[in-house]
Amino acid sequence: MNTISIRAFIPPLTRRCVPLRSVRRYAVQAPGAPTLEIFSHQHKWMQKERAAADVETSRSVDHLRDEVASRLCERLMDINRQFPHVLDLGANSCNIARMLTLPSEDSPDAGPRSKRVGKLTAADSSETLLYRDANLAFNNEIDIRREVLPTSELLPFEANMFDAVLSSLSLHWINDLPSVLAQVNNILKPDAPFIGVMMGGDSLFELRTSLQLAEQDRRGGVATHTSPLADVRDVGGLLQHAGFNLLTVDIDDIIIDFPDMISLMKDLQASGESNAVLSREKGAIHRDVLLAAENIYRELHGNEDGTLPATFRLIYMIGWKPSPAQAKPLERGTGMFSIKDFLEKEKKDDEGGNK
Amino acid sequence: MSGRTRPIDKLATAAAKCSKEGAVYGKCIVADYNNVYKDKCATEFMKLKDCYLAAYKKR
Repeated sequence: MNTISIRAFIPPLTRRCVPLRSVRRYAVQAPGAPTLEIFSHQHKWMQKERAAADVETSRSVDHLRDEVASRLCERLMDINRQFPHVLDLGANSCNIARMLTLPSEDSPDAGPRSKRVGKLTAADSSETLLYRDANLAFNNEIDIRREVLPTSELLPFEANMFDAVLSSLSLHWINDLPSVLAQVNNILKPDAPFIGVMMGGDSLFELRTSLQLAEQDRRGGVATHTSPLADVRDVGGLLQHAGFNLLTVDIDDIIIDFPDMISLMKDLQASGESNAVLSREKGAIHRDVLLAAENIYRELHGNEDGTLPATFRLIYMIGWKPSPAQAKPLERGTGMFSIKDFLEKEKKDDEGGNK
Repeated sequence: MSGRTRPIDKLATAAAKCSKEGAVYGKCIVADYNNVYKDKCATEFMKLKDCYLAAYKKR
């Protein structure tokens, strides 16, 4: 109330040029929900580019991505229909495409898994990594088109375009997962599945705890060296929030034994999976901390034979875009018999069998 | 990477030579890992570091 406006005393032209302190404005937030930024996209992009530039090393650490992509393809094959156009979101080095050209593990004689897949679009933000294997033989066996995304959080595709969207081991670097999943839901055709897998939960908990203990002892505090990861129970909610139907979420633990902690960290670096949390401590980890963490890792988690286990917890998720024709759960209260009675009967039968 | 040895590889080989001291240090931390504070195992770590530095210089 006490602010006196001197606006009236200023000639009209100057009034237009000079913004006045005494003018009050509303504080307006940019439209849309504010995004919490956890990971540095630029840094992640640079790590991937650098890792892929060293082709030999980069290929030598592809075993985990290949294995996970293979398991993901098995899940796609479980769906008995044709997929004329499939998107591989966050394709890394097109591991899914390579795995699709191999025969299924369950039926090695049945030919490649890609029989029922028409066109595959592989999209990733890192160009070097995406085109790393572009001149290998498997590219001729599948109709693959590579597309470099300007950012991994905005999908430049039209609505109702794909018959399936796959995503293998790249969703854990997305800042705004709800938005990306909603976009995926948008670009899918009605009644089309999204099948994804991401790192989650207790992945690399051994490395995380060892580094924490080592820093606590050596430097008296803890810095962020491993990403925060989504948990299994979060993923169901995320998918539901993004508008998917008929959800399936399951987890798979892959434990890989490494000779020492440095090999594990070098492998992570070579696959472009180094730390890219915004609040990370810039620069290398202090040598004292590394030396301490190595020995704590060995003592706390080490195997009998001197190797160090590293757990990768993979969260597989399947969600379907809603469609009126889709199978729906029955109305509440239309059940014909009580599941309680059924389970109790089973139990009695089991006990009877044991006697 | 290239033909030269990366510093991190040197660290790994040198650290591998001090497994005895390392185990002592590791046991000291793991014995009570819910209550770790700065320099909790400083003496054990200095022994480990001396061994590590000696091994690092030898190469």
